[in-house]
Formats: sequence, C-alpha cells, structure tokens
Amino acid sequence: MEHCLMIARSVTQVQRMARLLEQNGILARWLKAPSAVSINGCGYAIDLKEKDLASALSILEENGLAPLRIYRKSDDGYEEVSG
Amino acid sequence: MIYLDAGATTLEKPCSVQRAVEEGIRTMSSPGRGSYPASRLAEETAFSCRMEAAELFGVSSPEKVIFTQNATHALNIAIKSLVKPGSRVILSGYEHNAVTRPLHAIPRTERVIVDTPLFCPEKAVEEFREAIGQRADVVICNHVSNVFGYRQPVEQIADVCKKAGVPLIIDASQSAGVVPINVEQLGAAFVAMPGHKGLYGPQGTGLLLCHCGEISTLLEGGTGSVSRQQTMPAELPDRLEAGTHNMPGIAGLLAGMRFVRSMGVAAIAQHERALTRYAAQQMQTIPGVRLWLADREADQTGVLSFVAEGRDSQEVGEQLAQRGIAVRAGLHCAPLAHRTAGTLHTGTIRLSPSAFNTKAQMDRFLTELSDILS
Repeated sequence: MEHCLMIARSVTQVQRMARLLEQNGILARWLKAPSAVSINGCGYAIDLKEKDLASALSILEENGLAPLRIYRKSDDGYEEVSG
Repeated sequence: MIYLDAGATTLEKPCSVQRAVEEGIRTMSSPGRGSYPASRLAEETAFSCRMEAAELFGVSSPEKVIFTQNATHALNIAIKSLVKPGSRVILSGYEHNAVTRPLHAIPRTERVIVDTPLFCPEKAVEEFREAIGQRADVVICNHVSNVFGYRQPVEQIADVCKKAGVPLIIDASQSAGVVPINVEQLGAAFVAMPGHKGLYGPQGTGLLLCHCGEISTLLEGGTGSVSRQQTMPAELPDRLEAGTHNMPGIAGLLAGMRFVRSMGVAAIAQHERALTRYAAQQMQTIPGVRLWLADREADQTGVLSFVAEGRDSQEVGEQLAQRGIAVRAGLHCAPLAHRTAGTLHTGTIRLSPSAFNTKAQMDRFLTELSDILS
C-alpha cells in the first residue's frame, strides 16, 4: 500500500491536522518529517495511505490546514506530488 | 498560614496540578526534539494545553496560544510588537509596572493616561473614547486592577478600539479564571495572562493569546522546527517560543485550566467576591480602617485594598504575617494605580482570596486585624 507524507508548518499544526483527520475517520499518524523532505530542516508530517489523500486534503483545506507540500513514499525515496 | 495573596500567586493548587507537574518532571522531555515517547508525550501535552486555553478563552486556533514565563513576558511581547518609538499610547490609570516599564523603555512614546476614578466604568469608556478619538496608535488596559480589584470595562473599550481601528492589549493578570474572556469577541490584538494566579498553574507559566497579524519576536533561538532557516519561523506559536519549554509547568497549567473549567469561572468569582465583601462589611466596623469597595458588586472582583489610618501599611502587613495571615502591603508593583487612586504615599494592604479560602479563614483574619489595630 502506497503512503504519502503531508508536510505541516509546525508541530502544533501537525497535531491539529492529525486530530481533524482522526475525527473524520482517516487513519493518519504524525511524525518528524524525514530529512529528505524537510527543506528547512526539522519539519513535521502526516503519514497516511495514498488512497485517503484526496479526502484528507479536502478536509484539511476546508479547515484552513492545507499542507505545505505532499510527497509519495516509494522504495526509491520521496517524490513530490501536487495536491 | 492563611494565604490571602492569590493576587501575587495562588499558593494553594489543586491536587491535580501538583500531580501533573510531578508527572511532567518524571515523564516529559522536550517537545519537538525527538520521536521517542517522552518527547511525544511532551508535544501532546503542550498541544492539549493550547487547546484547553483556546476553548476557555475563545481563541480561534491553538496556534494563537503562546506559552510564556508569566504575564510580564507576555505583555513585553505584545507591547514591543505594537508600540514603536514615537507611538501615542492610551492606557488606563491602573496599569501594572509590567506595562508601564516596557513602555518607559521605548523611546519617545507619548503616553496618555485615562485616570478615571475607581469603580466608574461608564466614565472610563467616555474618557477612552475621547482619548482614542484624538489619536491613538495602541491602547492598553488591564481587565482588573491588581490593587483594587476594579473591573475595567474592557468589552466597551474593545468596541471603541475596533471601530477606530486601533489595536488593544489587555492585561488579564487578575481576570483570567474569574472573569469570562473571549478573545475573538473582544477583538483585542493581544490578551496576556499568568498561568500561576487564577488559572492555578505553577509559577513560570503564562499565556499570550494572539489575534493580531504582525508580531515581533522578543527572543530568537531554537524552536525544534525549520532549523536551517536563520530567521525565526513566521508561524505561531513557534515564532514566539524560542528555547526549551517549561513542560512540568505546562502540564500543571493544563491541569489548572481543567480545574477552573470544572469549577466554573463564574462560581469561582462569586466565591471570592463573597469572601471579600463579607470581610469588607466586617472591616467597616473596625475603627480607622478605610477600604476601597465598589458600590456595585459587578465592578469589583475578590481583590480588596485597605489602609489603617495612622498605621504604616507595611508594618500592618508584617504584623499580620507574624500571626499567620498572608497579605500583600505596599505599592503592588503598580505605582500608577496608586497615583490614580490617591494612595501613592501610603500604599495599601491587599486581600486577594482564591477558590480555596473559606469564611472561617476570613473570620480569623478579621480577628487578628482587629487585635493589631486595637
């Protein structure tokens, strides 16, 4: 199953995002973002299944919590995808 | 000891707060620094504390709840964000040194003091309106005077500021936890408060609730985020929270706010006010006691100042302390308030009960005071 990472602005924002998604029945965990996707270093991300990405984005955007960037995880690393 | 100095800090804390602090020390490391359980627990606790504050104070998002060391720290951030050299600042005549000293440190500020008499909120609104109408860059008003318990009409002052497009800073040091505060409804740019008074958290905690867009940093340093960037993050709360958080304090503050919510802000206020008004009624029968009591209960919280004619306030405070009664005497770090009320020369003795004081304790205070003054 493919996973995606949604990059958040801060640890507070990533927790809001995770809580909102959980309240809407989307399984998501938050974590410190891998260095490969932290442009400025020390970022935070939501990890979720790619199949949930579209609905997660819709919920987050409605609530003013759109992620900074989105990446798809693969065996080769991370590929930025558009929202 | 009968502790009647909650206006300085609430010494008696709920057991839940004490447990939370102890748990914070034992189980929480620094938030935003690691992926292991102790760091995650710290992050979740900090987030829960922000959410609790956002709920209690009507803040639109937890990011706008900033942890500070105390209200003074919070006020410094607010004042130094909005007041620039040469600004014209309108402030009430009851402000604490936590407001007047930072203002004093900013060069060429023009300070217009609205020094309405005590317990005259309608007149205060008129005078603020007039002063703001002439010109104002920033307005600062404390919600409740730490000396006299005077509840200032910040809701109406906030309306005047909104209509005039002037940012308002509210010092909620004596009101947080006893007077309802809704930041979104008020529209104040900043509301500053300590965690360790009416919110029953430990010392070393405070909150700055932000509504305004443009915020200057007071401290720069590590935030556990965007580390390659050499400017502080633009986003709240990180922008204003450099350095390691006081996690035991934040854990305790969370428990304190939950206590306040469970008791009810109105219930705590009613309890404190009833104790003070009872004491005031009795004190009026003690010869030589002069006190500052509002005619309308709604104009004053549980804070009460008094003097004993012909007696040094500090000496009376000292004698009370020797008899196991803790009050605060002197100028209360608020010489402006004393100047406005006409008590700068003598200072006052201040009673400020908390949710944990009882009528029996007030009776004991009255007995000791009568004895000292006889």
